[in-house]
Amino acid sequence: MRMWVYVVRRAVLVIPVVIGVMTILFVLISSLPEVERTCSFYHPSGRTSPCTTTIPCPQDPSKLCPNPVYQSAVDALGLNKPIFVQWAIYIGNALSFQWGYVAQGSALGTGETGSGLPSLAGQSVATVLSEFLPYTIELSIVSLLIILVVSIPLGNLSAVYRNRPVDQASRVMSFSGYALPAFLLGSFILAGMTFALGGPAAPSAICGGSSTVFLDFFGSWPQPPCVPLYGTANIGPVGFPNWLTIGYISSPTGFPTVDAAIHGQYYLALDTLLRMVLPAIVIAYTTIAGLLRFVRNSMLEVMNQDFIRTARAKGLPESKVIKKHAGRNSLNVTITVLGLTFAGFITGFPVVEIVFNLWGVGRIYAYSVVGGVKDWDFGVLFGTTLLFTYLVVAANIIVDILYAYLDPRVRLG
Amino acid sequence: MAARWSQYKRTWYFLRRNTLAMVGLGIIVLFAAAFVYGLSYPASSSVPTQYCATNGEWPPTASNPCYDAPNIICTYPQGTVPPTANCYMTPRDNPNFIAPTATLQGGLGQFPMGSLVYPAADLSSSDPLFYNTYTMLVKGTVNSIGISVLIVAAGAGAGLLVGALSGYYGGWVDEVVMRITDIFLSIPAILLVIAVIIVGKSSGLVTFNTTLVLIGVAFVIVWWPFYARIVRSQSLVVREQRYVEAARASGASNGRIIMRHIVPNSVYPVFVQMSLDVGTIPLLLAAITFIGFVLFPYPLIPEWGSVAAAGASVLTPVFTQCGVKGAVCAIPWWQILFPGLAIFFFSLSVNFLADGLRDALDPRLRR
Repeated sequence: MRMWVYVVRRAVLVIPVVIGVMTILFVLISSLPEVERTCSFYHPSGRTSPCTTTIPCPQDPSKLCPNPVYQSAVDALGLNKPIFVQWAIYIGNALSFQWGYVAQGSALGTGETGSGLPSLAGQSVATVLSEFLPYTIELSIVSLLIILVVSIPLGNLSAVYRNRPVDQASRVMSFSGYALPAFLLGSFILAGMTFALGGPAAPSAICGGSSTVFLDFFGSWPQPPCVPLYGTANIGPVGFPNWLTIGYISSPTGFPTVDAAIHGQYYLALDTLLRMVLPAIVIAYTTIAGLLRFVRNSMLEVMNQDFIRTARAKGLPESKVIKKHAGRNSLNVTITVLGLTFAGFITGFPVVEIVFNLWGVGRIYAYSVVGGVKDWDFGVLFGTTLLFTYLVVAANIIVDILYAYLDPRVRLG
Repeated sequence: MAARWSQYKRTWYFLRRNTLAMVGLGIIVLFAAAFVYGLSYPASSSVPTQYCATNGEWPPTASNPCYDAPNIICTYPQGTVPPTANCYMTPRDNPNFIAPTATLQGGLGQFPMGSLVYPAADLSSSDPLFYNTYTMLVKGTVNSIGISVLIVAAGAGAGLLVGALSGYYGGWVDEVVMRITDIFLSIPAILLVIAVIIVGKSSGLVTFNTTLVLIGVAFVIVWWPFYARIVRSQSLVVREQRYVEAARASGASNGRIIMRHIVPNSVYPVFVQMSLDVGTIPLLLAAITFIGFVLFPYPLIPEWGSVAAAGASVLTPVFTQCGVKGAVCAIPWWQILFPGLAIFFFSLSVNFLADGLRDALDPRLRR
């Protein structure tokens, strides 16, 4: 099969999957109460009075949002039309990035206490997500670099020295990393570093803007995230990543490090990168398990091949055999797995982002499901799910094509 | 049957020689003991010493709801006016949630596992119960382990059936089933679980003491495709075997062939995947309760992750607020550490066992 035929075929196969995902989401959205569908997230100025989990929303939608809004929502979503028309409308909206708006009464809509996040109410979900995605991508790249640097050499070593101490150590590492909850590792690394390097800061120093050891590792932007005492002080959007639209530094690319560098603020760029190191270590440690095992197995497989025996027989030094012959060949498969890991990465790390107070898309997602005082944000919830599905599907295609390019045998199938 | 029994005995023989698997099994036995202990542990162990009312008014009204006054604490003396409505302060909104006894002074402090009181949801009761940290952990052991075993059993059962049918019949049945699993597998699992939970809750399908059931159902919906894939690929091989052909020649019905030949012979890889998943699901469950710590507002579900989330939610403000080195710094570290360690050791031991099981079941991996 020619390469382009394979690419086209692979791309066409994606269509039913994407439509299926949308159908599942449509079923879920359809089972929401009508009030939520119409008033909550359809319209930018959606609901007028927030309802919470303790005060249920009124059954009558017109009590929750002004009647014109409700009527226009019903018309636009086709709620008075047959269900398959609604389904088609939903798919149209999903494909054209009309994922709704941040609801007025939700945590994101009101500005969550203590987070420094200003209200995002009425903003389009797709816009909000696109603003927070770049940070997650940067974090993913840093984590992936750490994983690459550790897993390939360690996996190769543990294959070469099978069942020797190196192999056992890497096995312990992968087992423990797999079983360790990210919140445990994250909290204790953060706390440990803070205490080891001088302790947390006095309250006054934090909002005054001076840097402390704790804040060196904490938060997604050099500006100290100012966490006010609950309900006492309203300090405003300090700590809100200012590469966002409301910020005063223009952001040509949206990527914080790149933007800082473009503006010539190399210290900011460095600082942003440094703050990613600890979370990236946590992410790398908790996800490296599968990859290590994979690199080891593919290396073991290659080491049993005939051409390795030939290389040894013709008298090449062992280091050369491993580096040039075995290592290169086992890399083929490893790259594809790395690609899939990266796809899983971009889908955000809500737990790590919560622990380290980073403003990536995972944290936005986490805030969309904050209930209790606030209301759930269905627009962001389903929008994030759609976004992540697009990302995973796209990454799958890219990895498959890459693999077919590297290993032509795949294309024959 | 006898032949299959001897096969199990042989697997056990190989498993027994694997040290790591035996260590894992030992820890699992300890967890099983904790499970039994948790089952028999008294349902409500402590009386709340503080809970919230609204601006001093009780009960809360629509205009003066509990959750909209997050900073008002009413401290009732122990033994007076027990709460009558389902309305409590969430720890993350409650500045006094860290009890004064819970201090971490100069690095090590007391160990006040009994000092914090949570209103907790329990399957057995339609009213919230009151648990301290220790009770939360003990009951959490029952819930976390119990729910992951049930989820895996249900998911594997459904996946086994669907996968076997799909692999055996092939053709368009197979094509349709595999496309459906494709769809489920391309949505990140955690997100789909959370979406199902939230939709279930907002549709008013669940009350607070059945939230755990809803979580289980959500997980099963997400989890069966993994098993269906495994069983399908296995049964594609099995259906071409001579004994299946012989069964068909001797007039066995499709149902009999599937139940007597396809399913039993495709089940081994499922065992391995099941044992791995029993270790994975508590991790995912903890991540979900952690992300949506307030997703299941109050009462808390006694589960490892929710205890940790309650602890971690006060970590950041405390860290940022508490003074310079040496000052009293109330960090509820035990709330994060102990549930975290419980998840860690459970997941680790299950993985050890699963790894040993895979080696024992796959002749090529035996050394």
